[in-house]
Amino acid sequence: MHKRTSAFSRTLGLATAVSAVWVLAGCGPKEPAPPATPGKPRVALVMKSLANEFFLTMENGARAHQKAHAADYDLIANGIKDELDVSKQVELVEQMIAQKADAIVIAPADSKALVPVCKKALQAGIIVINIDNKFDDAVLAASQSKFPFVGPDNRKGAKAVGDALAKKLKAGDQVVIIEGAPNAFNGVQRRLGFEDAVKAAGLKIVSSQSGYWETDKANQVVAALMTEHPDVKAVLCANDSMALGAVAALRAAGKLGQVLVVGYDNIAAVQQLLKKGEVLATADQHADRLAVFGIEYALEALKTKAAPADRETPVDLVTGETVSGKP
Amino acid sequence: MPEPASLLTISGLCKSYAGPVLSDVSFDLRSGEVHALVGENGAGKSTLSKIIAGLVRPEAGGMELRGEAYQPRDKKDAERRGVRMVMQELNLIANLTVAESIFIERLPHRFGWINRRQLHTDAQKTLQEVGLGDLDPSRQIKTLGVGQQQLVEIAAGISHRCDVLILDEPTAALTDPEIERLFAQIAKLRAAGTAIIYISHRMEEILRIADRISILRDGRMIATRAAQDITLDEIVRLMVGRELGQAIHRRGAGVPPAISVPLGNRDGLSDDGAVALRVRGLRRGSAVKDVSFEARRGEILGFAGLMGSGRTETMRALFGADRRDAGEVFLDESATPAAIHSPRDAVRHGLALLTEDRKEQGLLLPLSIRANLTLLCLRQLSRFGGWIRSAKERTEASAWAKKLSVRCHSLDQRVAELSGGNQQKVVIAKWLFRDCRILIFDEPTRGIDVGAKFEIYQLLADLADQGKAVIVVSSDLKELLALCDCIAVMSAGRIAATFRRGEWTQDKIMAAALSGYLQKQGRGGIEN
Amino acid sequence: MNSFSTSDFRRLVTDYLGMAVALAALITVFSLSTEHFFSATTFRTIANQIPSVLLISVGMTYVLVIAEIDLSVGSVLGLCSAVLGVALTKWGWPLWLALPAALGAGLASGAFNGLVSLRWRLPSFIVTLGMLEMARGGAHAVTKSQTQYIGAAIEGIAGASVFGLSLPFLLAIVIVVVAQLVLSRTVFGRYMVAVGTNEEAVRLSGIDPRPIKLAVFLITGFLVALAAIIDTSRFQSANPNAGTGFELQAIAAAVIGGTSLMGGRGSIVSTFFGVLIIAVLNSGLAAVGARDETKRLITGAVIVVAVIVDHYRHRLAKGKGT
Repeated sequence: MHKRTSAFSRTLGLATAVSAVWVLAGCGPKEPAPPATPGKPRVALVMKSLANEFFLTMENGARAHQKAHAADYDLIANGIKDELDVSKQVELVEQMIAQKADAIVIAPADSKALVPVCKKALQAGIIVINIDNKFDDAVLAASQSKFPFVGPDNRKGAKAVGDALAKKLKAGDQVVIIEGAPNAFNGVQRRLGFEDAVKAAGLKIVSSQSGYWETDKANQVVAALMTEHPDVKAVLCANDSMALGAVAALRAAGKLGQVLVVGYDNIAAVQQLLKKGEVLATADQHADRLAVFGIEYALEALKTKAAPADRETPVDLVTGETVSGKP
Repeated sequence: MPEPASLLTISGLCKSYAGPVLSDVSFDLRSGEVHALVGENGAGKSTLSKIIAGLVRPEAGGMELRGEAYQPRDKKDAERRGVRMVMQELNLIANLTVAESIFIERLPHRFGWINRRQLHTDAQKTLQEVGLGDLDPSRQIKTLGVGQQQLVEIAAGISHRCDVLILDEPTAALTDPEIERLFAQIAKLRAAGTAIIYISHRMEEILRIADRISILRDGRMIATRAAQDITLDEIVRLMVGRELGQAIHRRGAGVPPAISVPLGNRDGLSDDGAVALRVRGLRRGSAVKDVSFEARRGEILGFAGLMGSGRTETMRALFGADRRDAGEVFLDESATPAAIHSPRDAVRHGLALLTEDRKEQGLLLPLSIRANLTLLCLRQLSRFGGWIRSAKERTEASAWAKKLSVRCHSLDQRVAELSGGNQQKVVIAKWLFRDCRILIFDEPTRGIDVGAKFEIYQLLADLADQGKAVIVVSSDLKELLALCDCIAVMSAGRIAATFRRGEWTQDKIMAAALSGYLQKQGRGGIEN
Repeated sequence: MNSFSTSDFRRLVTDYLGMAVALAALITVFSLSTEHFFSATTFRTIANQIPSVLLISVGMTYVLVIAEIDLSVGSVLGLCSAVLGVALTKWGWPLWLALPAALGAGLASGAFNGLVSLRWRLPSFIVTLGMLEMARGGAHAVTKSQTQYIGAAIEGIAGASVFGLSLPFLLAIVIVVVAQLVLSRTVFGRYMVAVGTNEEAVRLSGIDPRPIKLAVFLITGFLVALAAIIDTSRFQSANPNAGTGFELQAIAAAVIGGTSLMGGRGSIVSTFFGVLIIAVLNSGLAAVGARDETKRLITGAVIVVAVIVDHYRHRLAKGKGT
């Protein structure tokens, strides 16, 4: 698919392809790989759930980058149906090995389960760059492999968001944390970041539960907690979708404005809420650049054959004052 | 002559479900005898045989087999002890082949892989014994007719070595030649010393093959007699506890009809004998080849024929239940054919089909009697575009249940809990409720006890007397002879002959039924 | 007539007493183990959360009664929500036009499910499984996978309240009552039960089962669209992933309420109890602050226990009925 199509039809095509892949479980993606141009490196981008806005933004950023640098490299981008489909992602990496990609940039769906197959890729002479969700250090050590991680420090970002919240509160105030999926590395990092900020400001966590990244689940949990802990002053959500659910729960309980909400990711849907002050702060990891950072690093490594090292990408705090009109 | 020793002795057996089903039943069975068990439906025959076969456990009483205590834990245990039952309900699995069905419990295999060739030859041998030698063992069960399925079931039962074999209504779906073959097989088993418990409603069969006859009534053992010492009338009297007037009352006999169908009287009886239904050139697949006939008001038209002669298929095709390949249906002497393409069209034109298999195709078993009775007439019992008038539904339904004397505790009782005869009455009431002018009954008395049978016959007769056209398909020739004004005999998908009352003899009908197969040299499972 | 009232009473007892007791037991346990659970606020909160799941469960119960299944309800909710969100934000449609569009998407999905499974005699399991994927794909296509923030334009629907109960809750209650009456008191309801019990017997009785089945799929699509409107209004945003897993929640609620997956048996009021039991469980476990794995273990166990209890309840009712 060299020819650019409209975003709509591409998404539609993607949806169809994803369904097709799923229906013909085990058969590979329907998009033919670009022909190998001699001398032009082929970079494979292996994404997490394309049903998630965040990852779609990442992938679109990568596609735009490739278009702008078409002479430098070819891009094969693939994703899985949902974030939990680990085995499908393993298959994707195996296919990329079979297709002899020069580099694989991967946002692993599981920080442990993807290590062995990535090691296989490394042994096949492919450069593997880890983005978004950092591989588990213990597993990396055990398997004696190392992949450079290019990405934001979720813990630092979450601490910045937590600090922004703490300024509006006083020591001893009660807060709740709505975590991401319990098995997700970035979810855990964000929770730790929130906890760092809470501890520094002397706040009190009365409950910390998972909302599974989903609006609906977060809504249920926050609504129940508001009744059980009526003195709660703030809700810290590990992503913005859950912040939307928290805001809805507070609105239903008549506590909007009295209880502060912070999120993470800076998705388009929360930007209105930031301006209105219904969400106090969120963090922008520059999703559209995240994959690009990884790709750029992979291209660098292909040229220099340098020993891999981690590289941190920027995370910016976004509040009502700093929010841009980003679409 | 010394009394032969008992193989199986039963004493003081009791079992109750909602009420007592068996109370203090004693029974003995000897090697090499055919012991018939008779009684009305609900008399306890099935429960008794299920206890013997290990399917049901008694509450009190003891059993001895060959002088040893016999308390089967389950069916398997009973079979290990040499006791086996062939069920009345078909237990076959539709997707299996004939051979697999017969040997389902002991498929010949090597390391789990089925030995197909041995299975095939073993099955062929077993089938030969029940006279189904020409049946391909690799055919799927679902492709067989009900009668053939029943024979396969019986073949499966007798293919095992056993000392006690229980046959529950084995001939219910069989044609006469098939019955003959079954009887030959039973004689062989008896000669080999097998004791056979034979349950049937068909008295003439019992009198023919049984050595002894035990009569159950309301869960009690009424009598056990040697077959040569008892007459049919006596058996029937012992079964029902009263004398049965066997005559079926037709109009003009001076007896008021048991039911009156208010709407049905509309046309009066003046145009009695007018043609209500005319079928021309009906074809459907290989089962129905060019069938034409007429049914008149106020008459009962019987359809006789062997199993698989196409009677059921004819009825289904004319009713729109199956697609017709060709043929037209005319109603009320009209010159233009009626547009009947689905059962819905048929019902709108005043036709009713009471299917052969009432449990699967006629009734909503888990639903109440009331819901079954009123299904076809809900629109008339509702207002405001579909709200059912509950009180009216109840009174109407109970009126119909009373008219047909459906025996039940309440109208909310599930139809599944009724006896076969009462279920059939519910089906009939359901259609009468709708005021159908042409009623087609496919095997209306199959699996129904003697008492209820006569009630059904009387109902059919009364319907005809109300001016309705009644068509009866039956494998019980005596039933047709007693009931019908006219009998059409089908053979190999065609109507071979039509007789009016007085013209027919059993021999003539049998000859006509066979005629279609004789020309084809015994194909279709019929030997000369 | 006296016997009718006693039998009605007995039916009431066998049908609903068990679930009412289970619900009361759950509420008691949570009330004793937490400080604030037993309060008007909790129940208002639950009342405002359940309408969407309740509507979907009503539709699912109908589908199960006719011995079919609809796995697409969650995805169709996502699609309807997406259509509503995008119509209001990207296309700038007014609410009076966007709402019918969302309802239309629901009805179209229901029509697809019904027509395809009837025309080609396919199991609804397969057709709606396909729809599950297609509708989700459609939701992502329409929104370009971005959550659409709508804001106050749609707040009025879920925000309006009477005596502290939200408009959606009252609407859902009305629909529960009507749906139960339709199922138990109308010709259409009786036909549904009959078709679910034995479709061939119904067909041979001269009643065409197809329009009945199609109507049920359409009703379900419509209820799902209503649920989508309610959820979208509640969150003031349209998430293309909305409703993920709702099909299983709805099946669970119906099954807890004693609806048979084999068709022919189901009650909307019982399904309502099923929804309440799950909602109280979710809310109570969140209030307790139970660990995530504990929540899942308990919720799963409750479903299985409910079905086992229903098995015995059903036997009891049968035994008494004779």
